[in-house]
Amino acid sequence: MLGQLARPGTIVVADFEAGLGTVMRLDGRPVDVVVVVVEPTAKSLEVGRRAADLVRESGLGRLVISANRVRDEDDAARVAAAFPGLDLLLVPDDPAILAAERSGVAPLDAAPEAPGVRALVSLAKGLLGPAGA
Amino acid sequence: MRVAFVGKGGAGKSSLAGTFARVLAGTGERVLALDSDPMPGLAFSLGIDRVDEGLPDETVEEYNDDGHRRFRLRQGLTGVGAVERYAVQGPDGVHFLQLGKAHGQRWDNTRQHFGFQHVLDDLPGDGWSIVGDLPGGTRQPFMTWGRYADTFLVIVEPTPASLLTGRRLARLAATAQAPRVVVVANKVRESEEVERVGERTGLRVLGAVPFDPELETADRLGRAVLDHDPQGQTATAVRSLMDVLLTGMEPS
Amino acid sequence: MKIAVVGKGGSGKTTTSAVLARTFARQGRATLALDCDTNPNLGISLGLGEEVTESLIALRDAVDTGEQEHASSADDLVRRFGVEAPDGVHLAVVSAIQNPEPGCP
Repeated sequence: MLGQLARPGTIVVADFEAGLGTVMRLDGRPVDVVVVVVEPTAKSLEVGRRAADLVRESGLGRLVISANRVRDEDDAARVAAAFPGLDLLLVPDDPAILAAERSGVAPLDAAPEAPGVRALVSLAKGLLGPAGA
Repeated sequence: MRVAFVGKGGAGKSSLAGTFARVLAGTGERVLALDSDPMPGLAFSLGIDRVDEGLPDETVEEYNDDGHRRFRLRQGLTGVGAVERYAVQGPDGVHFLQLGKAHGQRWDNTRQHFGFQHVLDDLPGDGWSIVGDLPGGTRQPFMTWGRYADTFLVIVEPTPASLLTGRRLARLAATAQAPRVVVVANKVRESEEVERVGERTGLRVLGAVPFDPELETADRLGRAVLDHDPQGQTATAVRSLMDVLLTGMEPS
Repeated sequence: MKIAVVGKGGSGKTTTSAVLARTFARQGRATLALDCDTNPNLGISLGLGEEVTESLIALRDAVDTGEQEHASSADDLVRRFGVEAPDGVHLAVVSAIQNPEPGCP
């Protein structure tokens, strides 16, 4: 299905169901990139670690960990300890994102310059590569 | 009392269900806490150091149903028996049974899934209270993972996305003719948010739980909030939710 | 390029997907955002607002209850269960395609 939708030059961003069920069913139909989104809580890191293991074991695609709501050094250390040696993006805890979520607007419209939003924009640009490929 | 916690992922179901189960057990009730999420969750909120184990594989047997491969609890094992044998004891005397958690590639949850579902259909009755934590985003919680419950607590944050899930669950509950369905406003920062949660979901508000920075800290440390901050805002709010349910008071 | 965004519910998965999709579109790339969650609300984070997002979900629920036909193909899905979001991102609520289990097929 993801394959059917991909056209040359088109980018498909799939916001998956929470958890891992559907990631497991991706088996054999790899994507280019899997972004595993976590928060620095014990539960979220545990789920993220399982997702990352699964992606690596089954060679689904390039793995990027994006850690949201990172408040301090302790949070950063928790994330780093959970994903040693992996590509990590630390997104600072940003009240602007929370406020956008609470009012039901897009963070990119509400606070394009907020640090948390800028971190995610930089992730997108990084995925496109230096040549925008 | 048989309650099930439902709502959008991240709304706070596990934190509230875990706290609720322990607070209820602390009053002397015999409580079984059930986690039917294939991802780890409720164990953390209960303060139980068993993140993975579900029913042992040998408790579930395969059988042939007219050419279809199916699974059921091993001959002679009832749901009640499975609870007596395999539920683990946690703090405050709470009993805990979970769906075995997903691990690794090709992790096949079919056995766990069917075994756990059979337990749900044969839960211990007299003398037990059941507190269930359901997976977020469940399509039909009222007919599937939550079918044992007599009361559903829809946990809703005052965000449009969470409210939207709450509305959708309210609609599904009406279609499924679910028993009592109430909403709990969670992570509340301003009192008018509680009213909004009631209005926007069309459900009765059982109560509200304030935004609690200590819960965030507990989550980061991987501790039960009840152990981290026993008299804090979350614990206090959950105690009053429980009182409302136990006294049968009309929710506000 | 196909990108899957995964994680625990409430971890910021949807916010991340939305910012990625709109940034790609702003960089001039044709972008399709797929909402594979059983409680789809990517529309809100993309900036479509609650009403449009909820109408897409209602359409999806109508498929679940049999009031609407399942999409016959990926293109049919995007045509019938899709909508244009800010910056030209195409959004489709994916579980509307026939699928024994929820999520992205």
